[in-house]
Amino acid sequence: MTPGQLLLFAMGGLANAAYLFIVAAGLSLVFGALRVINMAHGSLYMVAAFVTVVIANQVGAGLGFWAGLLVAVAVTGAIGGVVEVLVLRRVYGREHLVQLLGTYAVSLVVAGAVRIVFGANYRTVASPIPGHLNLGGYSYASYSLFMIAAAIVIAAGVWAMLYRTNLGRNIRAAVADPDLLNATGVNVTRLYTTVFVIGAGLAGLGGSIVAPSQAIGSSIDTDVLVLAFAISVIGGLGSIIGSAVGSLIVGMVISFGLVIPATNPFALAFVFIIMTAVLTVRPRGLFGLPEN
Amino acid sequence: MLKVEGLNVRYGKSHVVFDFTVEVGDGELLAVLGRNGAGKTTTIRGIVGLLAGASGKVSVGGRDMSAWPAHRRTREGLAYVPSGARCFQNLTVDENLEIAAHANGADHSWTKKRIWELFPKLEPLKNNLAGGLSGGERQMLAVGRALMGNPRVMLLDEPTEGLAPVLVQSIGTLLGTLKSTGVSILLAEQNHQMALRVADRAAFIEKGRVVEVLPAARARDSEVLHRILGV
Ligand SMILES: Nc1ncnc2c1ncn2[C@@H]1O[C@H](COP(=O)(O)OP(=O)(O)OP(=O)(O)O)[C@@H](O)[C@H]1O
Ligand SMILES: [Mg+2]
Repeated sequence: MTPGQLLLFAMGGLANAAYLFIVAAGLSLVFGALRVINMAHGSLYMVAAFVTVVIANQVGAGLGFWAGLLVAVAVTGAIGGVVEVLVLRRVYGREHLVQLLGTYAVSLVVAGAVRIVFGANYRTVASPIPGHLNLGGYSYASYSLFMIAAAIVIAAGVWAMLYRTNLGRNIRAAVADPDLLNATGVNVTRLYTTVFVIGAGLAGLGGSIVAPSQAIGSSIDTDVLVLAFAISVIGGLGSIIGSAVGSLIVGMVISFGLVIPATNPFALAFVFIIMTAVLTVRPRGLFGLPEN
Repeated sequence: MLKVEGLNVRYGKSHVVFDFTVEVGDGELLAVLGRNGAGKTTTIRGIVGLLAGASGKVSVGGRDMSAWPAHRRTREGLAYVPSGARCFQNLTVDENLEIAAHANGADHSWTKKRIWELFPKLEPLKNNLAGGLSGGERQMLAVGRALMGNPRVMLLDEPTEGLAPVLVQSIGTLLGTLKSTGVSILLAEQNHQMALRVADRAAFIEKGRVVEVLPAARARDSEVLHRILGV
């Protein structure tokens, strides 16, 4: 592999890591605070991708994408709010299986709705940031660089929200001791809704941002959920830094795994081999906290 | 003033607190004494509003809080110091105090600065995570956190548990000072000597029932103290 190729595939890995991080961060944030693994997280991502594609194609290139992104994030956030109130509130504190079934049911409902509303065909949308850059003799879609930049901004935003705002402080307190938080004057019920809306919005943001970079079909919900789940297991559920590191690992493994002919058929398998290895050696993930 | 009328608490089918009824006046301290498992913690958590199986009436300064969730009760005048020096372990000392800051329109408004004056040992630790503090430091932090809500009523669950005698002394002094600012205090304690030193009255509970309420002076070496606490 030449240095130029190495750079090419590394950039591909970074672009993968970028959208995967945005999705995994939402999954992880929700798990950290609510202790619920949201099986419908990928569904929200898929809804956002479709909404973005449809609106972007309606309104037209460029501006249409940004309008689609805003609407998609608002729609997924709103769905998240409804789901939290109607479904999650009934399963908090129950055994994990009940929670998984509850959110899995939501994912089936959403998947069905997406097929009815958007149909089964793959859809695409033109990139709002067209053009290519030349690095080391290879050309890169400018949009990939935008995805990477967006993920960095979102990572910084999530970090600042958690460590520089009262909301974030309350979320961290809820991770540690929701009962004490309630007895300290914070409405934990409402806080949980807020966290879930933020998590859903991150899924939506991921789906919107990914839309111009790949064909959008009705199975991308499970595709992304499986990867986001692997990332969270590798990085540690509930840890934002873990999500970032996990996304980098998974993004790179997929990028390099796919281009090396010998490993191409197994690229995804490598992700799960790493996941299994981490689970064996360090069950809570690289950056996860032990469950209390 | 804290008024609790007919508080009953059930954990599922098991009835644990029966018709708990007390009044704690402004600037008064009521000690709640009883053996392990008598129902002290359950009573306090029921008053705070943390237990789904609680019924009865709770009012503070004439305002009926019975229908309010715990977060509203603790935002508007009740403060709870849980047992075991419970703090938000993954938050800094500073954040543990800030998270509880509620104005409540009280005239004596507590600030972090006043907490540092009260517990000088905490100030140099303000950027440390609460989880790294010693038991005594966390107990001070738990009391400080309750004060930051500018409470009119404080409910303390064994605040001296596991503390060195000097610290027990200073908690006692603090409670005395708080009383003089008009705060109503309900103090559950195993350490009856400390409790009765600062208390105005003592309620003895046995198997979830108040069996006797006495002025502290009379409680000190009453028959009921000997019988219930076995001292
Ligand atoms: N979560 C719970 N579920 C069921 N029963 C409980 C629960 N918590 C406490 N109990 C029971 O309620 C009774 C009162 O317990 P509580 O903790 O209120 O006593 P306490 O007076 O605070 O005791 P201690 O001095 O040991 O702290 C006990 O019999 C206890 O076993
Ligand atoms: Mg107790």
